[in-house]
Amino acid sequence: MGAVRFSEVRKSYGDHEVVHGLDLDIADGEFMVLVGPSGSGKTTALRMLAGLESITGGEIRIGDRVVNQVAPRERDIAMVFQDYALYPQMTVFDNLAFGLRRRKTPKGDIERRVREAAASLGLDPYLARKPGQLSGGQAQRVALGRALVRDPQVFLMDEPLSNLDAKLRTQTRGEIKRLQQDVRTTTVYVTHDQVEAMTMGDRIAVMNDGRLEQVGTPEELYERPANVFVGGFIGSPAMSFITAAAEAAPGGGTRLRAGEVDLVLPGVEGLPSEVAVGVRPECARIWDPSHPTMAGPVAGEVSFVEALGRETFVGVHVGEDRRVVVHHDGRSALLPGDRVEFGVLPGALRFFDAQSGQALAPASRVAA
Amino acid sequence: MTSRREQSFTYALLGVFSLIALLPIVGIVFTALQQKGGGASFGSFDGLHFDNFKRAWQDGNFGTYLKSSAIVAVSVVGISTVVSILAGYAFGMMRFRFAQPLFYIFLLGLMVPMEAMIVPLYYDLRDLELTDTYWALILPQAGTSIAFGTFWMRAFFRSVPPSLVEAARIDGASSWFTLWRVLLPLAKPAVLTMVVLLFMWTWNEFLLALVMVTDEGLRTAPLGLSFFVGRNQADLTLLAAGAVIVAFPVVVLYVFLQRHFIRGMVSGAVKG
Amino acid sequence: MATRPIIAEEVPAARVRGGDAPPGEPRRIGYVYLIPALLIFGAFTLVPLLHAVWLSFFQWDGITAGKWVGLGNYGDVFSDPVQRKAFGHALLLIVFYALLPTAIGLLLAGVVARTHVRGFTFFRVVLFLPQVVALVVVAVMWRMIYDPNDGPINEALRAVGLGGLAKSWLGDFGVALPAVGLIGTWVMYGLCMVLLTAGVQKIPRSLYDAARVDGAGPVREFVAVTLPALRGEIAVALTLCTIQALRNFDIIYNTTKGGPGDATSVPAYQVYQRAFETGQVGSAAAMGLTLAVVIFLLSTAINQIAERGSQR
Repeated sequence: MGAVRFSEVRKSYGDHEVVHGLDLDIADGEFMVLVGPSGSGKTTALRMLAGLESITGGEIRIGDRVVNQVAPRERDIAMVFQDYALYPQMTVFDNLAFGLRRRKTPKGDIERRVREAAASLGLDPYLARKPGQLSGGQAQRVALGRALVRDPQVFLMDEPLSNLDAKLRTQTRGEIKRLQQDVRTTTVYVTHDQVEAMTMGDRIAVMNDGRLEQVGTPEELYERPANVFVGGFIGSPAMSFITAAAEAAPGGGTRLRAGEVDLVLPGVEGLPSEVAVGVRPECARIWDPSHPTMAGPVAGEVSFVEALGRETFVGVHVGEDRRVVVHHDGRSALLPGDRVEFGVLPGALRFFDAQSGQALAPASRVAA
Repeated sequence: MTSRREQSFTYALLGVFSLIALLPIVGIVFTALQQKGGGASFGSFDGLHFDNFKRAWQDGNFGTYLKSSAIVAVSVVGISTVVSILAGYAFGMMRFRFAQPLFYIFLLGLMVPMEAMIVPLYYDLRDLELTDTYWALILPQAGTSIAFGTFWMRAFFRSVPPSLVEAARIDGASSWFTLWRVLLPLAKPAVLTMVVLLFMWTWNEFLLALVMVTDEGLRTAPLGLSFFVGRNQADLTLLAAGAVIVAFPVVVLYVFLQRHFIRGMVSGAVKG
Repeated sequence: MATRPIIAEEVPAARVRGGDAPPGEPRRIGYVYLIPALLIFGAFTLVPLLHAVWLSFFQWDGITAGKWVGLGNYGDVFSDPVQRKAFGHALLLIVFYALLPTAIGLLLAGVVARTHVRGFTFFRVVLFLPQVVALVVVAVMWRMIYDPNDGPINEALRAVGLGGLAKSWLGDFGVALPAVGLIGTWVMYGLCMVLLTAGVQKIPRSLYDAARVDGAGPVREFVAVTLPALRGEIAVALTLCTIQALRNFDIIYNTTKGGPGDATSVPAYQVYQRAFETGQVGSAAAMGLTLAVVIFLLSTAINQIAERGSQR
C-alpha cells in the first residue's frame, strides 16, 4: 500500500547526470534511511519522490501507482524540510491545519486531527503561537506535526535534525523513531550522518556519487560492507584501510606485506595478490602475545589519542602514509610520538579488491 | 577609540550639512507663516499666521490641486502595487521560457526617462482623446511604476526560501493561494517600501502633468504650484504657503516612514 | 541550507524545457500573471518609446503632415549649436549634481566610519529630506533664496559689506548655470550620504583596526580602507545623480526657463520647447531619445570603471 519503488531512476541537469540508474525497494511501513556524503544524490532522490524534481529516466512507484507525472499534492506524501519551512505568519494550529484545509477536509476532522498530532508531539501549549516565537526544537516538532496530521502513505524527511544542537538531536532521533513505529507509515529519511542512519533505520541505503552503493540492515552494512566506500563510511571511528600484497604463507594462512608491515594471518585463505584490508578499530588492539588469535605485532608511532573515558582510540602511523586506529578499553597512557605495537584479529578483518574496492569473501576458519 | 577632537569634528560636520539641508525648508515654512505684507523677507519669523494657508487653499485652489494629486497618486499606487506583485511573483518564483528576455524589457523601461517618452505619449493620448483627463496622468505613471515595482517585488520573491513554497505545494496550495496567503504576509515591509516610493514619485511628478493637463480643475499639486508662481510673483507669503501645502503630504509620510523611504532608495539603487 | 533556487537564470537553459518541469510546479501560468503588467507597461511605456523612435525620423509640427528626414534630427543633435550647448550644459551640471554631492557624501561617510555617532538616525532623516520634496517646491524655495533684492544670500552679503558681490543669481549670464547646479547639489548630497554610509556599515571593523595598528591616521585610513570598499556604492551614487543631472527639467522650468538667453538650456527643456512650443516634434523626440542613450552610456561607463577597479 505505502511501498515505494525506484526503478532505474535517473536524474540529469542538462548533460550532467547526478543520479545514475537507482533501483531501490522500500517496503510498506519501513523506515528507510538514505545516507551519503553531499553530492551523493540522496536529496535529489528524495525530491524526485516528493515530486519537487522532474524524473529524467526510470519510474518511481508509490503503492502500485507510477507517480512520475503526478503532482506532489496528489501523491499522498508529506515532507519535513531541513529548515522546517513553517508558514511564518500563521499560528502553529494553522500551520498544522494548512494541508487539511487545502484538501477541504471537514472542519470537525481538522480540529480533531490537529489536536491529536499536537498532543502526540507535546505541542498543545504552543498552538496559538507563531513560528517566530518557537525554539528550534519546538519548530522542528511542528514540522513533524504538519506531516503527521496529513496521515499520508509516505513520510519524506530531508535532514530534519541538522539544525538542532547535538543533545536535542539525539533526543529527537529517538522520538521520531518511536513515532514512526506507532503510526507505521513508510518513511524515507535522508541524512549525511551515518550515526543517525545506523540508529534510526530499519534499513539503510548508502549512496555515493549518484549511485546506490549498498542497501541493507544496519548490521549487514556494518558487518558485511559491499565495498571500500561503505566500509569506510559506516562506523565511527572509520575503518582504516591498508593496501597490502598477499601471498599464501607456508604452514597455512596468508602473509600480508605492506611497507614495514609483515603479518601472517592464520586461517585466512584465498585472497588475490593485492588486497585492501579493512581494519575496524575494535579489531586492532594493543599487542598482547597471550591472545589466542591476535596476529602481529605491527609497530608504529602514535599520531593521535582520542580519550573518550570508557574507551580510547589511538591513531597509529605505520610507515609513511598508513594509519590504523587501535581500540583500547578504558584509559591509555600513550601519547603522540610514542612507539607502540598492536595486533589485529584476523576473523574481524574485511578484505576488498585493491582495484575495484569490492568486498572479497575469503575463507576464514578463525573467529574474531 | 577615536579622539574627542575627532568626535566633535564629526558632529560639527554632520551638523553643518544638516543645517544646510534644513535651512531652505525651514525658511519657506517660516515665510508661509509670516504676516502678509509685513515687509519681512524670506525665512524670517514673525509669529504664526496661518491665514496664508487658508488663502492658498481657497483662493489659490490648492484644495483642488491636492485632491487631483491624491486621486492620481492613489490610483497609480493601487494599480501598480497589485500588478507588480503579480509580475514580480512570476519572475521571481516561476521558471518559464521567455522569463529572462521579458524581464530585461521591464528593466529597459526602468532606465528610460520620462523625457524620452513624453512627446509620443502626448500625441497618442491626444488621439485617444484622453488628454486633460486623470487617465492621462494615471496610465503612463502606472507604466513606469510597474517597471520599478516588478523589479522590486521580484527581488523580494527571490529572497524567499524555496522550501516554504515547496511545502505549500506539497500541502496542496495553488500558485494563487501561495502568493496571497503564504507569501504576501511576509512581503508586507517590501510592499510598504514600494508603496511609499511610488507615492512620492507620483505625487512629485511635474512634466507629465504640465504636458497632459490644461484644465485647471485637474491640475496636480506641483503643476498647480508652478502656475501659481507665475501669477503671484509678488506675494511671497502666499507662494510660500502654496509650496508648503504641496510638499506637506510627502514630507509627513516621510517623517513617519523614513526608514522605508531610505531603505527603498538605497536597495533599489543598487541595481540602478 | 540544502535548498534550491527557483530562478530562471540560475538554471541551465536546457532545464527550462516544457517537459522538464516537475509535475505541479507552476510554469506556463507565469505568463498569465504577467499579462496585466505587460499590458499596462507595454501600452504606456514600451509603445511610446517605439513611437518616439518613429517620430524622431520626421520633421513634424504636430498639426500638419510630417516630412521624413531619416537620421537628420540626430545629425542636428551633434551639429546644431543650440542642441550642443544644451547637452554641454547638462554635462556641466553633472559636476554639481553628481561629483560635488558624492564628494560631500564621501566626506560625511568617512567621518562617520571612524566614530560612533549617537543620534545618527536624526542626521540621516534631516539630510535625506531634500530628496523627498517636490522639485517644483525646491525651485520655488531657491528662487526666493536667490532673489536679488530680498533673498537671504544677497542680504547676507550686504550685511557683511560684500554688497558688491550681490547679483541676480538666476538672471546673470555667468552665474545662472552654476546657481542652478548648486540647487542640484543641495538636493542630491543627502542621497549620496545615505548610500555611502550604508556602504560604510558593511566594512568590517577589523580592517580599520588593522590600519590603525599600522599607524594610519584618518586620511590614510580613508584612502586605504574606506574608499576602496565603497567602490560599488560610489558607482551607484554617481549613476543616480548623473541621471538626475541629465533629466533636469522641473528645476529649470520653474527657475530660469532655460534663460537668461540660453545660459541654462538643457536637453529636457529643449524637448519640451520643441515639442510644445516651437513645433519641432521630430527633433524633440530625437533629443529625448539621445538623452536616454546618453544616460544609458554614462551609467554603463561608470559601472564598468567601478568593476574594473575592483578586479585588481
